[in-house]
Amino acid sequence: MSATTAPAHGTTPRARTARAGFGATLGFELRKLRAQWRTRAVLLGALLLPIPVAFAIHAQGNPPKDSLFGRYATTNGFALALLVLGYAGQWVMPLLTAIVAGDIFASEDHHGTWKTILTRSVSRGSFFGAKTVAAMGFAILVLLILSASTIVTSVLVAGHGDLIGLSGQLIPASQAWHLVAMSWLTAIPPTVAFTGLAILLGIWSRSAAVGIAAPVVIGFVLQLVGSMGSAEALRPYLPTSAYEAWHGFLASPSFHGPFLTGLIASAVWAAITLGLSWTLLRRRDITGG
Amino acid sequence: MNSAALAVDAEGVVKSFGAVRAVDGITIRVAPGEVYGVLGPNGAGKTTFLRMLFGLIRPDEGTLRVFGRSWDDDGTRVLEGVAGFVEAPRFYPYLTGRQNLVALARLDGGVRPGLIEEVLDTVDLADRADRKVDGYSYGMRQRLGVAAALLREPRLLVLDEPANGLDPAGIRDMRALVKRLADSGLTVLLSSHNMDEVEEICDNVTIMNRGAVAFHGSIADLRAMAPDPGHLLDTTDNARALEIADRHQVKTEADESGALHVVGPHDAVSGFVADVVAAQVRLKQFTPTQTPLEALFFMLTNTEAVAR
Repeated sequence: MSATTAPAHGTTPRARTARAGFGATLGFELRKLRAQWRTRAVLLGALLLPIPVAFAIHAQGNPPKDSLFGRYATTNGFALALLVLGYAGQWVMPLLTAIVAGDIFASEDHHGTWKTILTRSVSRGSFFGAKTVAAMGFAILVLLILSASTIVTSVLVAGHGDLIGLSGQLIPASQAWHLVAMSWLTAIPPTVAFTGLAILLGIWSRSAAVGIAAPVVIGFVLQLVGSMGSAEALRPYLPTSAYEAWHGFLASPSFHGPFLTGLIASAVWAAITLGLSWTLLRRRDITGG
Repeated sequence: MNSAALAVDAEGVVKSFGAVRAVDGITIRVAPGEVYGVLGPNGAGKTTFLRMLFGLIRPDEGTLRVFGRSWDDDGTRVLEGVAGFVEAPRFYPYLTGRQNLVALARLDGGVRPGLIEEVLDTVDLADRADRKVDGYSYGMRQRLGVAAALLREPRLLVLDEPANGLDPAGIRDMRALVKRLADSGLTVLLSSHNMDEVEEICDNVTIMNRGAVAFHGSIADLRAMAPDPGHLLDTTDNARALEIADRHQVKTEADESGALHVVGPHDAVSGFVADVVAAQVRLKQFTPTQTPLEALFFMLTNTEAVAR
């Protein structure tokens, strides 16, 4: 150990009173996210994976006619992008969301670093807010990259001709661009809801594995519940249903009711899961690490 | 000294985990500039007390103030001027030592230019600061923990068993570092289960046992209470050595191997051993068993409280 004397502050003790604001705490979280290979891998995956997927679907001799827009997916890039959106909403988006959201709190337990950060004059509330915003922001960023990559790749692979809508109407290419992009953007509210769910599970379980995997499993269960006739009344209020809200945009006449219901339902899901998450975190004794 | 003037003012603090009373009504007061030891065996409640001080857990009963501030009234402002670590310091393994410090400095609202290099140099990690923490040894992480604490330029430095898990050289270096920091005017609250460490560094000490205070006072008070030192003596003729012991103010007792446990004042033991040697009895072994303070520590932590 160095023979140098202790830092000069010791001789004239003075307390540092500077405290990090929310921006600094958020910056701290983003710095950590940037340094993790998993984060970079997800972003890279969102950018590159649509390429082989689009080529694979386009190369099929028999298009998947039993899926929405599957009939035209090999001949129309807009249809191909919407077909991918339909699949992505089933489990890909909940998974991509949960990779960061399910881990961002649980990793502090895993590394034993709660005590490191909570002994630095930053409140639990500040960390909760910063981590939540970071997780939400990451989820939306992944969605936007996935959307852009899928749409561009699909159009390049399968062309950008006029699209045949869900009611059989012809949608001009100039309008199809807009509708396809809007359709992908409708995935933001349920993605936010799943982010809240992943955060809750990560905080509750203190396990990244649970925080990441459980939202996907729960997503499947909710889809199953939504498909049961006896639970028909519940269906509009499930976050999984909000992933299908874009259907109304592609009908003629178009309808936005499912989107608005999904928006409100997703907001309620997010509020409840985040409220529970905060309650758990605020009361927790940090005894590990 | 009123509560606001004290660095730490804990009174009647209680914390239970289920049926286990981890901290049982302890009162600890640390004055500014003091180097204070909290000593006790594993499970005595030292770390639980420090966790409460840092707000990581909340006490069930009692009051706890740091520089006059309490968690209930002041929230995280309690930690202004306070730094340290509880148990082994932990960092993000995917960041380098320097990146960890830079990130933590951000949480501190930024640090003055050059401070990160300064604290890295203080703990002798400057040349290894750009390695990922994942590859750090235990001792390097302990030192990085001290560096992370010094970044806050604290008035009160709280260290929980800083030499725990270190090799002898690491222990020596860590003690030297803590001593230097203490000498620089910082208030230091040091938790340890090692009597030598506390004796070497601290002015005052609280000995905890099973969550309660077993002793509170100065190191000088503690020394005054300490029993005589003990030694293990083995010779070529232990029976003859026992006869010689009768002429000295020492207590001797033979163990199963025949070696003698000798307890008595230092001068008496020295005279006894000199007479043994003078009687042509050759020494095979003569080693101290427990220092007086160690003996007292074991006594205090295995018997009823001797609160002062």
